[in-house]
Amino acid sequence: MSAGPYNYSYIFKYIIIGDMGVGKSCLLHQFTEKKFMADCPHTIGVEFGTRIIEVAGQKIKLQIWDTAGQERFRAVTRSYYRGAAGALMVYDITRRSTYNHLSSWLTDTRNLTNPSTVIFLIGNKSDLEGQRDVTYEEAKKFAEENGLMFVEASAKTGDNVEEAFLETAKKIYQSIQDGRLDLNAAESGVQHNPSQPGRTNLQGVLSVQQGGKDSCSC
Amino acid sequence: MSTPEQLAIVQSKFTTGEIVVIAMEAMLVQDWLKTTRLIALVNKGSTNALVILLTSRTPPQVYSDLTIEKILPIDQDFQCDIGTDEEQKDVTDVYLNVTCRKSRTIFEMRPGITTTNLVSAIFQAIEVYQKNKNPTTDFLWIQKLTGSVRNLDSTNDRLLSAADPVIELESSDLVVSRRNIATGKSPIGTRESVVRYQMACKEDDYTYTKTLRIFIGTWNVNGQPPNAITLEQWLSSDEVPPDLYAIGFQELDLSKEAFLFNDTPREDEWRQVVAKSLHHKAEYEQVALVRLVGMMLIIFSQSSHLPHIKNICIDTVGTGIMGKMGNKGGVAVSCCIHNTSVCFVNAHLAAHCEEYERRNQDYADICARLNFQTYVPPKGFKDHDQIYWLGDLNYRITEMDAQTAKQLIADGNLAPVLALDQLEQQRRLSRVFVGFREAEIKFKPTYKYDPGTDNWDSSEKGRAPAWCDRVLWKGEPIASLTYQSHPELKISDHKPVSATFDSKVRVIDVTKYRKIHEELMKKLDKLENEFLPQVTVDTTEIIYETLRFDEPCAKELIVANTGQVPVKFEFIKKLDDTSYCKEWLSITPYTDFIEPGQKCDIKLEVCVDKRSAWKLNSGEDKLYDILVLHLVNGKDIFITVTGTYERSCFGCSIEALVHIPVPIREVPIGRIMELENNKNTSQDPYYVPKEIWLLVDRLYRHGIKTPGLFETQGLHSEILAIRDWLDNGSQDPMPGSVHSVAEALLLLLDSTAEPLVPYNLHRIGLSAATNYLQCKQVIMQLPEIRRTVFLYICAFLQELLTHTQDNGLDAKTLASLFGSFFLRDSPRSRDDRNQRSKSTQAICDRKKAAFVYHFLINDQSDFVGR
Repeated sequence: MSAGPYNYSYIFKYIIIGDMGVGKSCLLHQFTEKKFMADCPHTIGVEFGTRIIEVAGQKIKLQIWDTAGQERFRAVTRSYYRGAAGALMVYDITRRSTYNHLSSWLTDTRNLTNPSTVIFLIGNKSDLEGQRDVTYEEAKKFAEENGLMFVEASAKTGDNVEEAFLETAKKIYQSIQDGRLDLNAAESGVQHNPSQPGRTNLQGVLSVQQGGKDSCSC
Repeated sequence: MSTPEQLAIVQSKFTTGEIVVIAMEAMLVQDWLKTTRLIALVNKGSTNALVILLTSRTPPQVYSDLTIEKILPIDQDFQCDIGTDEEQKDVTDVYLNVTCRKSRTIFEMRPGITTTNLVSAIFQAIEVYQKNKNPTTDFLWIQKLTGSVRNLDSTNDRLLSAADPVIELESSDLVVSRRNIATGKSPIGTRESVVRYQMACKEDDYTYTKTLRIFIGTWNVNGQPPNAITLEQWLSSDEVPPDLYAIGFQELDLSKEAFLFNDTPREDEWRQVVAKSLHHKAEYEQVALVRLVGMMLIIFSQSSHLPHIKNICIDTVGTGIMGKMGNKGGVAVSCCIHNTSVCFVNAHLAAHCEEYERRNQDYADICARLNFQTYVPPKGFKDHDQIYWLGDLNYRITEMDAQTAKQLIADGNLAPVLALDQLEQQRRLSRVFVGFREAEIKFKPTYKYDPGTDNWDSSEKGRAPAWCDRVLWKGEPIASLTYQSHPELKISDHKPVSATFDSKVRVIDVTKYRKIHEELMKKLDKLENEFLPQVTVDTTEIIYETLRFDEPCAKELIVANTGQVPVKFEFIKKLDDTSYCKEWLSITPYTDFIEPGQKCDIKLEVCVDKRSAWKLNSGEDKLYDILVLHLVNGKDIFITVTGTYERSCFGCSIEALVHIPVPIREVPIGRIMELENNKNTSQDPYYVPKEIWLLVDRLYRHGIKTPGLFETQGLHSEILAIRDWLDNGSQDPMPGSVHSVAEALLLLLDSTAEPLVPYNLHRIGLSAATNYLQCKQVIMQLPEIRRTVFLYICAFLQELLTHTQDNGLDAKTLASLFGSFFLRDSPRSRDDRNQRSKSTQAICDRKKAAFVYHFLINDQSDFVGR
């Protein structure tokens, strides 16, 4: 029974960007820990999370950089865009100002990443329907006009969180398959791991016969 | 594992002086679980130790594939023996029992030269110890290695906890370095091996058992073709159709062609007759067929099971002459039925009554040499959950004469005959088929008959009856149902034998498997995240209340490692920055390691000095910086540093100062910035800045006769007091000694953005240095305020030189000193200084001095008179 390789064949770098308080860290936490982090403090810096996912039978390790959203850190967080394969751009559906700033975040992303970087727009806090300040339709239109993938999600309920991260990975993987993303480019944000571990059985026993037949009969 | 490259990889785990004598792979036997280890004998001086290493890849390819698991010093507590455990003993494998510090470890190793060498090396090492009786201190080198080693002593505990893999996973002695997992640095195999191990531990949770009826048949057909016979009596005598058939033939073809060229028409003839005679109540398909000369093994399965039979591979072992010819030996099929690995072996062992030793040898050879290459790495005979062994094993009865035996058999009294069966005897002595079982024999011997009859061999030889044809099995859980012969089939001198079993195979519940696998992956992801470097800082905002010129102020940042792994932190540069912090800030240490639970106090010292003050005055820089505290392989923390700078005349340009008639602290910061940028200058500026005038006046009044003026260092505290006096204004006399005043004057000249002679005139100035007239022309080109200040200071210096008998000054010393300030090198060229040769620098310094010297010895009244 071949259990197949359990390791990742790729590493994708993601960044999460957007205004302060839109829920970037909560999205990361929900994705990596499957939990909602209430009273999440403001990120002063760049948090780092990782998870292994599977796309088209390939194990992919996501390295996610969750950036501080405060305006005063904007100049510093620009250092982190470089080499991102995926950018999750987040706004808060209950605060229009966070939506209005998207074009500026988008400009940064376009300027600081490479053309094959997949940008995914997330309207967070979709559980707070009553306080909605940005309609789904207008965000959808914005996304379409700018060629972004889009979903409304809730870091609190977990709704669509998994999807956003996975869809981004699928798109990146697709780009690799299509040859649009050059793995050898220094800033592709993707590392490929071509080694294929040996097939082994499920009993956890790695059978070993080193010298082949000759050494066994002596 | 004995190649020099691989030995070198193992060697790389040890330091100089610790020599890996030999290393090889072995299976660590822990109850039912066998896991691969690498065992190495390591020598240091006159001491030796047996080192057990985990390897994430076999064979290991890089240093990081290996983790030292345990080190057993070869000393008085070390004992080692080979394969004495009756239960474990098996002709095919060498068992190395190592006892050390009261814990026992068993390794299973393939026989071969490497094994032999390793074992003899261990025994040599024991002898060496016996001879030397090294004191324990000689073994101290081991402690260094064992510091980070996982403890193998608790083997039993581990097995207990293995029943609850969650505990195992979260226990502190996880095999792999968590840090490496966390950082993704761990070798490709490590995570995989954790997953594999954990999944194996949880096998019961995602598998259920399914019972398969297995039919095993064996028949030595004595070279006879099947002709018109059918085999239903043998193959379909039961009511219930078997799920799987494994049917073995021996002496399929006794012709020379078959023997020499391994080619025979009989293969297909017998295959067809078997296919026709399979149970009619079910549909069967052939799974595999393997033949070596006269030995053939066919596996048929009910069609419905076919999709679940995977990894089918075959191998043959000839044990005839030179271990090559296929007249004797075995043929085998290995496959996985659902999640259970099964091996079928059809053997024809050495003939002749007395040759039971050769039969044992044949068995051992087959066991050792069977090797299923389609697996990576190849799978051996023993690596199967279930093994069925069938065939003409040829064990006889020699300790009873044929007549007696025949009589007992005729009476139905098999027991006394069976007791003398060589196979029974050899198994009892554990010489062969160790671990195998056989059902009780209730049928008459299957050999030797006159073909076509049920009569015992009537030839001259009159061979004694024997149970040559047998079926044995190994592995759990297999329940024997029937074991019988089929005398109805008479064409051969042997009777066919059949055995049926209910065998439980493990079936993977795909849904449960996915779920458990997914959970495990999540757990590992969680571990990865938990084992990322993690720190907390006591603050992310460092605020300096009031910072004054040239007055350092330090604050502490406490970084505590609150994670589970050691952390290396460093302050890193931001995009486009050249340094990790502004020049007015210094961070010590800017990089360091912190162990879990420990903390590090980082000193952040701000000092606005002559290099940075003018930038703050002009607004080019602010006392504001965001530091990026980076954890290697982890997150980044931003530390904001802010401060309020108390403006000072130090760092102000001459041009700005002449427009400020009041103490600078009374001027709003915006006004200074305006003046620094030449905006809104006042109508009536001073000729020289009042600060320069005040300092010079002080020196003129109180220091003109002071010996060592401009040669003696001032006091820093007095200079700061002078700074405050100048900046705040005061009715009191200027504080500090004249030496401090002199230094304050130089500091004032040194703190401006540009020296008195601007950088763009330096080249001309230096080339003109030997010529007074040309020097004067350079001075004429200075902006008026600077020229005035220049001449004002020179006039003062000339005045000083009129008192050389008191103050001991000379023009050359002063020229040299003031030359370096008036013609200060630009910051960039200061950086170049290292590249510039010392002599070039000396020439340059001499030219500066020469330049100023002219203005100290010549009458300046034509200038000053203005």
